[in-house]
Amino acid sequence: MPDSPCWILGISALYHDSAAALLRDGEVVAAVQEERFTRIKHDASLPLRAAMWCLEHAGIGVDDLTHVVFYEKPLRKLERMVVSQVLTFPKSLKAFRVGALNHLGDRLWVGSRICKELGITPEKLLFCEHHLSHAASAFYGSGEPEAAVLVADGVGEWATTSIWHGGADGLTPMSEVRFPHSLGLTYSAFTAFLGFRVNNGEYKVMGMAPYGTPRFVEEVRQVVDGVEGGGFAVNLHRVTWHHSATDSYGPGFEALFGRPRHPDEPLDFSTAEGRRWADIAASIQHVTEALLLDLAVTAREQTGCEALCMAGGVALNSVANTHIAAKGPFDRVHVHPAAGDAGGAVGAAWWAWREVVGGNGCTGLRPDLGPRIQERHTQDLLDDLNIAWQRLGDDELIETVANDLAAGRVVGWVQGGAEWGPRALGFRSILADPRGPAQRDRVNATIKFRESFRPFAPAVPAERLADRFTAPAAATSLLPWMLAVVPVRDHAAVELGAVTHVDGSARVQAVHAETNPRFHALLHAFGEKTGTPVLLNTSFNLKGEPIVNTAVDALATFDRSGLDVLVLGNLRIEKPAR
Amino acid sequence: MSEAIPLFDRPLWALSWLIWRVVPGRASTKMAGFSHTEQGSGLDMLVAVEQTERRDLRRKYYRHALDEFRHSRMFAQRARALATSWSRADAVLQDSGFIQSQGINDKQSLFEALDEIDFLAFVWVHEKQGARQFALYADLLSDDEDTALMFSKIAKDERFHIAYSRQELDRYAAKGQATEVRNAVLRVQGRRLWQGWLRFGHDLGAFMSGLWLGLLYLVFLGPFSIIARLTERVEGGLQAVEQDRTAVDRAHEMA
Repeated sequence: MPDSPCWILGISALYHDSAAALLRDGEVVAAVQEERFTRIKHDASLPLRAAMWCLEHAGIGVDDLTHVVFYEKPLRKLERMVVSQVLTFPKSLKAFRVGALNHLGDRLWVGSRICKELGITPEKLLFCEHHLSHAASAFYGSGEPEAAVLVADGVGEWATTSIWHGGADGLTPMSEVRFPHSLGLTYSAFTAFLGFRVNNGEYKVMGMAPYGTPRFVEEVRQVVDGVEGGGFAVNLHRVTWHHSATDSYGPGFEALFGRPRHPDEPLDFSTAEGRRWADIAASIQHVTEALLLDLAVTAREQTGCEALCMAGGVALNSVANTHIAAKGPFDRVHVHPAAGDAGGAVGAAWWAWREVVGGNGCTGLRPDLGPRIQERHTQDLLDDLNIAWQRLGDDELIETVANDLAAGRVVGWVQGGAEWGPRALGFRSILADPRGPAQRDRVNATIKFRESFRPFAPAVPAERLADRFTAPAAATSLLPWMLAVVPVRDHAAVELGAVTHVDGSARVQAVHAETNPRFHALLHAFGEKTGTPVLLNTSFNLKGEPIVNTAVDALATFDRSGLDVLVLGNLRIEKPAR
Repeated sequence: MSEAIPLFDRPLWALSWLIWRVVPGRASTKMAGFSHTEQGSGLDMLVAVEQTERRDLRRKYYRHALDEFRHSRMFAQRARALATSWSRADAVLQDSGFIQSQGINDKQSLFEALDEIDFLAFVWVHEKQGARQFALYADLLSDDEDTALMFSKIAKDERFHIAYSRQELDRYAAKGQATEVRNAVLRVQGRRLWQGWLRFGHDLGAFMSGLWLGLLYLVFLGPFSIIARLTERVEGGLQAVEQDRTAVDRAHEMA
């Protein structure tokens, strides 16, 4: 082990949600998705701005890096693509042309591009397998000495689902399901069928499911079902992702479920067609939960561990996570907060630290690992734009914003570093009074401009969570990251009308004073005024845009939406009455 | 064709008229493309607001950014309204990658890549060009009242963008930097031509590569597919993974 600090930069890129993460002796000191800088949601480009920000934030140069780690093996991906397309000849002609052009144009040269753009020597560059990156992100961040690890996503190199054993010796692969059999791609096929965008609308399907009844379970099981010996298999006659570049389902799918929904078609669950789509959503959600639970049981059998760590895009299905925590054989369930491809940047870096460098301890997974706004710069900006602002002391700020919220104002709240992962956790959030559905409808219609059926999440001080929510004990570590959907207690369901979903559940965030003291104080202050220490907390962005990053992003979002108040650190801006 | 269309633009008007009638949904796709372009411009302007050292320009840049975001939304709405069914326009609207070619660079934003004079020259040249292009499309779609109204609203904003950027360039020129301003405008125009050439080269390259790859697929992959189908099994379910995989030994390899 060298005496000087070991700096490792992890990079995930070129499919979706590219990100960079920087470790100092195993501790994450900075992590951010490229989309926050480019303002392109799910940006897949090489995260050069994110990487540069990480280095700048840590005050180091490229020469200080011990390793740069890319989160997957591009040549193995190409191999999978070619083999799959050979097997589906001649249907895969178009997919072959598109895939080959993508690989030849970009992905195959990612190594040399990273070296050139960052200015590092090839000896410093490492490649970690895709599912190993995910597994490392989940296990090394969990703090567990030993755990079963379950990774489920669309596809990595070949694996689409994998089970690992994590222990003192690192991560050992146990078993895997291989492409084209994929739970993630199956869920995405239903996402597309229901008129939502793949890799973006999966959580809409999850939110839509409670409006339906799972009457299509048998049909879904004709697409994907469990198999003897563990895992699942996909009926490849019903889907097309193994030979198509653009579509994921075909006529065989439509024969089972009927006409797909057009993206602009209104969703009205009081109509027969609307109910059919909700029932399909409920059915795929039901089958996904069942298959994941079976996989968790298999993971327990294969590893004998008491804790489960999960990652991969499927692990962002917070309803399924809670199902596993409540019904599964594990005492503790952990999920990496950026469970999708972004998290691969942290995982790849942790893997290199533990297994290549031979370091000990992987720490530093906090919610606020991204860029901060500078108060002086923000004041200048507001002055230059002729926008009135007031600077409030810490206590006064909490008091004033609590009053704003209690008066029914909707607040854009920017504090500290930007969140790591897709959820707003009180650092780049839109906050509102959670009592009564009127606030939900207002935030949906004038601020977020999103589908009215989608639920909002509540945030509550961790020590007050049990007053209104019932979370399974095994899900405790998921609650600070908004990764579990739990029942709202009966007496609180009416009180929390804006954040209680149609099935009486909520994707609650437990806020701890140690990790987010200001937000924690605000929740208590709001509770003192209203008797309800809970706030509606949704991400600070407009539909189709990434969460705000800089002060000017926040300001532009404030100006283009129905937000009443904007808080940037200690600065409060009120929208003039129109 | 309206008399207002300059002589120089008339061939393009005629070509567009033909294409829009021959290719269904072309107008809608064009609106979707404009939506992304305007969004990309808005993002560039926000970076300029954040990073400019000319603090007196911030308000103009900010107003410009908000205008562009509004135009983006208007174009997206028109694209959806003009699309009769699930169309290429929807695909374009959903393709966030499209925006990458509209001014957001890999390592630097447009403002970071240019200095203030070059940036203003860029705004002036591109807004002028945009206004001309929009006037042409407004004329093409003049029988569609909603689209014509949208273009007229946008044209008003474009006039402000052209005016303030020209005014600022003139101020620089009046302060003794006339040569820098002239050169900046020439650089931007040259860059515009160069990027058009690069785009053409890229599109041609992609088309030719597609042809060759298609040929490769049909000639070479066909025979392999017979062998592969006999030997490869694509089994579902959990498969055991070899325990002797040495990820660390292969850490430097892409495979």
